[in-house]
Amino acid sequence: MKKWIPIASGLLAGFVAATISFADFSAKTNTEAASSSNKTDAEKVYIPFGKKDDYYLFASGGHSGQMFIYGVPSMRQIRTIPVFSPDSATGYGFDEHSKKLMGDYTWGDLHHPAFSETNGDYDGKFMFATDVGNSRAAAMDLKTFTVKDIIQVPNTSGPHCAAFVTENTEYMFLPTRFAVPLGQKYESLDDYSTKYRGVMSAVTFDQNKEKLNIAYQVALPPWSYDLSDAGKKISKDWAVLTTYNTEESTTNLEINASQADRDYIVLFNWKELEKMVKDGKYEDVNGQKMIFPEKQKGGIYLIPVAKSPHGVDVTPDGTRFIASGKLAPTMTVFSFEKAFKAVENKDFAGNRNGIPILNYKSVMEREVNPENALGPLHTQFDDKGMAYTTMFISSEVVKWDPNTGKTLDRVPVQYSPGHSVAAEGDTVSPDGKYLVALNKIAKDSYLSVGPSHPESMQLIDISGKMKVIQSAPVNPEPHYAQMIKADKIKTINVYPKDEKNKDAVYKKSDARIVRNGNKVDVYGIAMRSKFIFDAKAKRPDVIEVNEGDEVTIHLTNIDFDEDITHGFAINSYNLNMEVQPGQTNTMKFIAKKAGTFPLYCSNFCSALHQEMTGYFLVKPKN
Amino acid sequence: MIGTRKKLSVVSSFILTVSAILIAGSLFFPWWKMVFIAPQYPEGLNIIVFPNKLEGQIDIVNGLNHYIGMANFSEANFPELQYLPYLIGGLAAITLLTALLRKKPVLYGLIGVFAIGGLIGVLDLHSALKKFGTNLSPEAPIKIDPFIPPILGHNTIANFHTTSLFGTGMYLVIAAFLLLLIPLWKDRK
Repeated sequence: MKKWIPIASGLLAGFVAATISFADFSAKTNTEAASSSNKTDAEKVYIPFGKKDDYYLFASGGHSGQMFIYGVPSMRQIRTIPVFSPDSATGYGFDEHSKKLMGDYTWGDLHHPAFSETNGDYDGKFMFATDVGNSRAAAMDLKTFTVKDIIQVPNTSGPHCAAFVTENTEYMFLPTRFAVPLGQKYESLDDYSTKYRGVMSAVTFDQNKEKLNIAYQVALPPWSYDLSDAGKKISKDWAVLTTYNTEESTTNLEINASQADRDYIVLFNWKELEKMVKDGKYEDVNGQKMIFPEKQKGGIYLIPVAKSPHGVDVTPDGTRFIASGKLAPTMTVFSFEKAFKAVENKDFAGNRNGIPILNYKSVMEREVNPENALGPLHTQFDDKGMAYTTMFISSEVVKWDPNTGKTLDRVPVQYSPGHSVAAEGDTVSPDGKYLVALNKIAKDSYLSVGPSHPESMQLIDISGKMKVIQSAPVNPEPHYAQMIKADKIKTINVYPKDEKNKDAVYKKSDARIVRNGNKVDVYGIAMRSKFIFDAKAKRPDVIEVNEGDEVTIHLTNIDFDEDITHGFAINSYNLNMEVQPGQTNTMKFIAKKAGTFPLYCSNFCSALHQEMTGYFLVKPKN
Repeated sequence: MIGTRKKLSVVSSFILTVSAILIAGSLFFPWWKMVFIAPQYPEGLNIIVFPNKLEGQIDIVNGLNHYIGMANFSEANFPELQYLPYLIGGLAAITLLTALLRKKPVLYGLIGVFAIGGLIGVLDLHSALKKFGTNLSPEAPIKIDPFIPPILGHNTIANFHTTSLFGTGMYLVIAAFLLLLIPLWKDRK
């Protein structure tokens, strides 16, 4: 046996040396010692450096046209993503791709954001949002948090009642807040009931090509459609919308649209509508396949509901939908199963505008009226299926049991919550834990910045008795938001090399300027800390053109290093864009002004960022 | 039984065979690496040297090195990477041959070649480190004193703390060398 000793000792020596050099002996300390129940509010929201938040919060930015990304529970704002408005910080609306997406619009009103879903659960791939201001829809890729496509929706105006996606992101439906004549052509308001329509659009998204498309539209009656939700599980082929102004009034809506005691929930089966379109049961309207419910019958029903409801939300198990009364202090719980039975038995109470009305009593399960809770707007759910409804007028969140209607808990919020968002609160499997109240009025919550104030988002711990544990100011104006578990989102750190991209240049020596008549194409690179537009020129960081030339600048950031973003700005030419690590971006313009214009990196990149400059020289015509 | 005294035992032959396998195996592992850690690079940047290639975040390191006027690391700058695999392969072959011949003088020769080769390798690495650390461009935007990073251990250059480490391949070769010494002791009579 002795002869093995030296061999063993030799190998042992090697392993010891390797272990000493490579092994990690640092002690694993347990920082999760304190359980959530005995943490103070401050400890619950404090995220030390090196740790990350548990959830992403995607808050709609309203009339800023942007989306705000927050971390939960710290409630720190991480990023502002421009969607419907230009943003000079990122060059959104300046570079060719985003300029084309924006068209001629310079603002948008981003309302209700919605994640792409797989089997009724967020899949973390895409985020959708609609623009009430200019009737558009957008799709954002969550690998890069950048907008990939925007679509203008014709025949309709102001898709407030959106976006909600079906269980496997088959469709995103865009019902509208304003009724307009088809094609938005001129019609007298005296002919409102006959000539105006509240058109709903069924939008599809091709995830590979990252393109939005309109599959078909539905010419619903000229009412206002407020909020909506898609069914889940047993109700997955169905969707529900709330309506107001079924009075069809055309002026002073504050009074005139609030007269009828009941408005309607629109219940529709999108699978049936899809089949109708497939069978040719539609009319062509301005290039769109339009279903007219009074002519192409089936698939759409009305259910009476307490007047002017705001939200309608499907329970996580998909068996019920809950309408929040807004002007009536009532949450009405409806049963999908009862509704399906009523549809089957043709249990109708007449019709409106050619659409059958289901018998209220046959579909309604219960009316819930928590004492003195006023202005119910929107309902979210926790992991046990309990409902949380925001009360706009009485400034509180009420927790209640949809199975019994019993009030379980209440917490005041400051002030006037519109929507709220629970952790994955509108999926088939909400997480519980957190609810964020999106308050419309901050008033005296923060240091004053003059007569107008920010909005406020309050984080509520819903793991036990509801408690507000953090309050964060937020720019105008979160409507709805979405909260997703952080590990569902898989971002990239740098754009991978794309050898097929003809506009990209990855080698310094390949940087070049191509002149063709009055067209100048620059294939340049940005790197720490210089621009190279023409590798062979005496001054590689200079672009020289003639007045009136059409200039196209393709710029590739060849720093394949996390967070090393470069900017590209031309002085006095009102131009700026960014190139993220590894990205190729394009700027196109006419050199209208002759003269000397410094160009520079506008996004701080290195210790020699200040030196990252060059010149754009425009020779005068004469 | 003349000559038996100079003949290596079967066990020694087996040990030498293992040594040859370790040497050949080292070709597929990194031999040496330098880890760069800075406040804004807490995850560290690596230059990893294999017998035939460089790996790690070479482009990023080069991008940063130009601030202090250091030449670019690239496979073209290290002609050693072209022939090193053959030298190592050759060494493995000679070791295997020694195992088959089982002759002590051949083993002495092998140990000598191994030691000299190792010494040359260390000197070559040192001269490369010296070349890069002291041949700084006079046009560099940030002037620092020339430096020679150690082959093993820590160094500080500007905001970077560097750590030079042997890789798995190097440990395999060291183990292989130790294995060569065992027959000397075992068959000492």
